[in-house]
Amino acid sequence: MQEPYIVASWPSVPVEIVRAAGFRPVMIRGASSPTPTADAHLEPGVFPSRLRQLVEDALTGRLTHAARIVIPRTSDADYKCFLYLREFVRRGVTTALAPIVLFDLLQSRGPDVPAYNVARVRALLDDLSSASGQVPSADDLRREITRANTARAAARHLAALRCPVPRVAGAEVLPLLAAFWEMDPDRYAEMASDAATRIAARPPLAGPRVLLTGAPVDRHTLHERIESHGAVVVDELSPWGSGAAGDDVRLDEDPVAALAEKYRDDSIGARTPVDALRRLTQSKLDEVDAVVVSLPPDDAVFGWDYPALRDVLNARRIPHVCLRCDPYERPTPVDHAALDAMVSAASQLQEARHG
Amino acid sequence: MADSQLEATVAASAFQKQWFADLRRRVFDDRQPYALLQADVPFELFDLVDIPAVSNQWWAAIVAAKRQAPSFLDAMDADGLHGDLCRYCSLGYASTRYASAGEAPWGGLPTPRLLCARLTCDCIHRVFSLWAATFGAELFEIDHPGPGDLPPRWWELGRSRWRELVEPHRLAFVVSTLERLVERLEAISGRRLDRDALRERLELVNQQEEVFDAVRRLIAAAPECPVRMTEQITNVMATQWVRGSTWALAHARAFHDEVKRRVDEGVAACPGERARLMWIGAGLWHDTAFYTAFEASHRAVFVWSMYLAFGPDGYIRYGLDDPMAALASRTASFNEYLHNPPWAAEWIVHQAREHRIDGALVLRPRSMKPGATGRLFIERALEETGIPVLPIEADVVDARAWDPDSARDRVGSFLDTRVLQ
Repeated sequence: MQEPYIVASWPSVPVEIVRAAGFRPVMIRGASSPTPTADAHLEPGVFPSRLRQLVEDALTGRLTHAARIVIPRTSDADYKCFLYLREFVRRGVTTALAPIVLFDLLQSRGPDVPAYNVARVRALLDDLSSASGQVPSADDLRREITRANTARAAARHLAALRCPVPRVAGAEVLPLLAAFWEMDPDRYAEMASDAATRIAARPPLAGPRVLLTGAPVDRHTLHERIESHGAVVVDELSPWGSGAAGDDVRLDEDPVAALAEKYRDDSIGARTPVDALRRLTQSKLDEVDAVVVSLPPDDAVFGWDYPALRDVLNARRIPHVCLRCDPYERPTPVDHAALDAMVSAASQLQEARHG
Repeated sequence: MADSQLEATVAASAFQKQWFADLRRRVFDDRQPYALLQADVPFELFDLVDIPAVSNQWWAAIVAAKRQAPSFLDAMDADGLHGDLCRYCSLGYASTRYASAGEAPWGGLPTPRLLCARLTCDCIHRVFSLWAATFGAELFEIDHPGPGDLPPRWWELGRSRWRELVEPHRLAFVVSTLERLVERLEAISGRRLDRDALRERLELVNQQEEVFDAVRRLIAAAPECPVRMTEQITNVMATQWVRGSTWALAHARAFHDEVKRRVDEGVAACPGERARLMWIGAGLWHDTAFYTAFEASHRAVFVWSMYLAFGPDGYIRYGLDDPMAALASRTASFNEYLHNPPWAAEWIVHQAREHRIDGALVLRPRSMKPGATGRLFIERALEETGIPVLPIEADVVDARAWDPDSARDRVGSFLDTRVLQ
């Protein structure tokens, strides 16, 4: 019998809550496969690939067995997706769909937000508990936090092998880091530790070290394309890569409050405050030789950060390229030429720096 | 034929220009603070502590209507801001950030003391952060908790049963945020917000919107549309930004009386009206002549836009024992009313029936991604009701890719083949 699971549209749903309630988290991600059913109902250029895939799955009966579809308030597109899914059910476009839940965790930094978020995490816990019939105690939650923190430590260890001295390609390590969100934490910690041991024994990789920023990627397709030009993607602003683990969740009296705080503070998405993203980006610039800014056609947010980032990169003489292609579609010849030029410039700077 | 504008329309346009001149004088000469706000922020709170407020969307509409947008938008492009970013909410920012690229209307925006925005679309935080930094001014953000429960026929609940329309946790959050906003406004202005005055103001807003409701009913019921949509918008826009003020209420009444006089006298915007059209989406500010372009050729009149219709349904709040909660209940769900399923589609279909609409033109915004969502539900709901729909792809402030002749040809063909056949 299949393990009970919930589906989420972005890894900003506390997996500790999901597991404590007795479910396995399944995160929807983008893909290059076509979404003809979803395309008939979604406006073009608005929804990223992962949400088109989610709607395709929902409308073709592939989410029938999920206990819940949880849509976090990570972006306006996610929120709209929640409203659309509800409407598809109401209008009879689909009938075989799990209950849809909005997880309205706010990302802004106002003083009213923490209490609101704690209540939302508690509401999610209550809803999932009612779905499973498994009501976790505070100790059960702390146990899940401890397990996830162990997995986080393993993921951090793995991520440390990317930078400053890269021993693993971004395209290889991203799936290992991304698995944090879906694998059982004990198994994940074991897998990530084994991988880290193997990778640590490898020689350093040559080629300019690249930071991938802009709209967060959820797979390694763009990494592959960048690395095909001779660079190594050593970091990315994405919860699917080195950002998957983040800091540990604190263990204290109120685990729900601790989770609400962690998932607000560590979330990377369209509603993450610009100052937080800017600090995060700039903290990574000392250890990279070049930057790729991904601004796919559905981007409505990260493009606003580009002029300021470009100015910082130019001031620090860090080569960069801005890609407007969809990460799941082939880059254009112009994109390839720009990547070539960036890698070439970064290589020259790297040689000059290291003699 | 109503060739001349309503007196109220002329007065509304003059009022806006004079109001802005007064604002500049107050800011530059008297060094008084003012605020720049997103259109869905509760302006009443600012006015009651004597901080005048300029609407971002109103300013963008003025810049576009004065044909100044392209130079600012070119400057945005040149600075590396890609073309899929929202131009409507950011044109005001561009007119500040790239001030030397063009000539902002009426001397341009002076530096505000405060900017304030609801965090509806994801880009609002970005645009307002950049704008505030450019001005060196403070930014106050009102986050937008998302509704998980959207009961049907929101416009019937909103007036008297508004507590049922907004979930308690969302209402409490917005109230709490508005209370913090009031604290900031009081600190800036040095004036206390009088809660009785807030209640009285909201009662006056109710009266103003009741007047607009009466205008809406006049337009819906008249044999032929008595007042063009563009004039409806001018009169509503001028009053909404100072809603509940003495001038706004008096102006709304004057507008109503003039429309009623036209109805009584049988004056039509387009005598011999053959098709009643609705415009769904924000106004096409750089080409408002579009809205009258089909009167001579097809006797087709734009009767409805959200600007007049939304006031009565979106703003009226009865039961003002807790005026801040009433205000918060209005603030909490603006986007959902206007754009999102299920609320936007069912309201627009209801309005189309009330106004005996023959055809609908639905804006497909080029760069306003959140504004572009929900429209497929709206288009299908209208078609299922028997109302033909023509999507119009355009940017509401960016005329650079707009081909007015081609757009008019498409509408003409739509009228010939689907509406007037």
